[in-house]
Amino acid sequence: MRTSLVAWIAGVVSVTGLYLLGPLLYFNAASPPILGMPPLYFWFVLVPLVSPAILGTVYLIDRRAGGVGSQIDEGS
Amino acid sequence: MDPMHLVVGVVLAGVLIVTWIGIRGGARTSHTLEGWIVSDRGMGPVMTWFLLGTEVYTAFTFLGLAGFAYARGGGVFYNVATNDVGYALGFLLLPAIWLIGRRFGYVTQSDFIAGRYQSPKLGVFVALCTALIMIAYVDLNIEGLGSVLSVLLGGRIDLTTAEALGFVILTLAVFFGGIRGNAIQSAVKDILMFLSIATLLVLVPAHYFGGFGRMFERLMTEIPDRITMPGPTHRLGLSWFVTTVLLTGFGQWMWPQWFNVAYTGRGPRTLKLQAVFMPFYQLVKVAVITIGFAAILIFAGRNVPGNDVMMLLAKDLFPPWFLAIFALAAVLSAIVPAGPIVMVSSTLLARNVYAKLRPGTSGRTVFALSRWLVFPITLLALLLALVAHSLIVVILLVAYDFIAQLLPGVLIGGILWRRATGQGVFAGLLFGWVACAILHLMGYEQVFGMATGFVVLIGNFIVFFVVSLMTQPVEKAVLDRFFRTIYSHDPVTPGPVG
Repeated sequence: MRTSLVAWIAGVVSVTGLYLLGPLLYFNAASPPILGMPPLYFWFVLVPLVSPAILGTVYLIDRRAGGVGSQIDEGS
Repeated sequence: MDPMHLVVGVVLAGVLIVTWIGIRGGARTSHTLEGWIVSDRGMGPVMTWFLLGTEVYTAFTFLGLAGFAYARGGGVFYNVATNDVGYALGFLLLPAIWLIGRRFGYVTQSDFIAGRYQSPKLGVFVALCTALIMIAYVDLNIEGLGSVLSVLLGGRIDLTTAEALGFVILTLAVFFGGIRGNAIQSAVKDILMFLSIATLLVLVPAHYFGGFGRMFERLMTEIPDRITMPGPTHRLGLSWFVTTVLLTGFGQWMWPQWFNVAYTGRGPRTLKLQAVFMPFYQLVKVAVITIGFAAILIFAGRNVPGNDVMMLLAKDLFPPWFLAIFALAAVLSAIVPAGPIVMVSSTLLARNVYAKLRPGTSGRTVFALSRWLVFPITLLALLLALVAHSLIVVILLVAYDFIAQLLPGVLIGGILWRRATGQGVFAGLLFGWVACAILHLMGYEQVFGMATGFVVLIGNFIVFFVVSLMTQPVEKAVLDRFFRTIYSHDPVTPGPVG
């Protein structure tokens, strides 16, 4: 349970951090373009694609560690 | 034949078909409150995804977000961040709510709060306040519907009649179809919405700019201040962005209708999968924002209401048959998401207010009352939209500030901190709601550049912690039972819905 809780906290901090720190540190600008896109726009295209990967990793760790509710059989 | 008659005819027929689909779809659940409001806790990952999708991605996403980007600039990206932060939080919170709900037979947020803090009075207080806030929230959808219809009909049909008709259809679908019917309607609405937005996203750059590259180039060179923060109003700066994302992201599950999604899932795994896959949905928001930014250049020099830009572009670009599909998606995005809000409001009033004030009310009566209340609640929302339009706009602007004040009681005390007490939650809420009301009445949309609700929430947390530590905690045996349900691997015996 502890491992899955730590993974969850790390997931929340990572997703929140990416969204907040990106504009704060660099991306709140209209140029120079990144892959042809304005930097701020690019960041908000990138992070929704990265978030499922982060939370997918949390999911896999949680499943192996027997996280909250893992005793419930939901069928196929 | 006027092509707009074809569009209106298709929209009307489409709404009726989707209503029928919803009513038929709801027939599979049990004829009980648990069946009606939480689909017997049996919704699988796909249907839960659509249900959550419809509650999060409403007329505001479809129309309002483009308007926000068009009128207020780069600050609009807060709305992309908000939901993903919420999903990450929901990875643990939603399964915990599900386990508690199943173990103790809870079907509303108020049940959860009253049970955790062993305080029926706190449950009544929270139910009454949140139900009222949610009725105002229904009006956001009425606004959205009005916006679509006014562009579409252009004065051909009385707008009030059309809005009223839309919401009569909504109440019938909700009354008969329940939450499962709404989830099936959501699937139709979401597929149409994806199709419509994707088509517009491809056509707008191609038609007006000659491609994405040229469009981005013009955005970067001609309106750099409009696509970054603080934007044209100079008010939505980075401190506003950070505090708004924290407030709305962490506050997301405090909305009773979103909280209730946790009860509808088949189990914790279904809910955890939502956290993994829902962020992809945010790309729809990015697409709408792109169109909103493009509209700044397209409508340069013209005074166009922000909420209308999506519909105006669709009218300009699409042939009538596809405009009909687009308009149907827009109308459904206003009507379908209102369903869970109305249902949860009526259940809160019937189960957590009426039945608590009149002990001995039978489960059958509560169920019947919950269903029948959808009619007066929708009527009240419609009347409010007509007679107190400006009041509603004010309420909606601050609704998130108010609802997020539930965070200490639901998240911290609810699943993380055993020492929290009902008195602490009540004192924090009272502080939060009164402080929010005073600050907003005094015209403070921001405090030191930060979101007002966020600043108030810090005060709420302090009051919550201090009062909790000063008051008697809930009996240890009760707390053990509650928290063991979440954190142990014991089998969860389903409790009856009281």
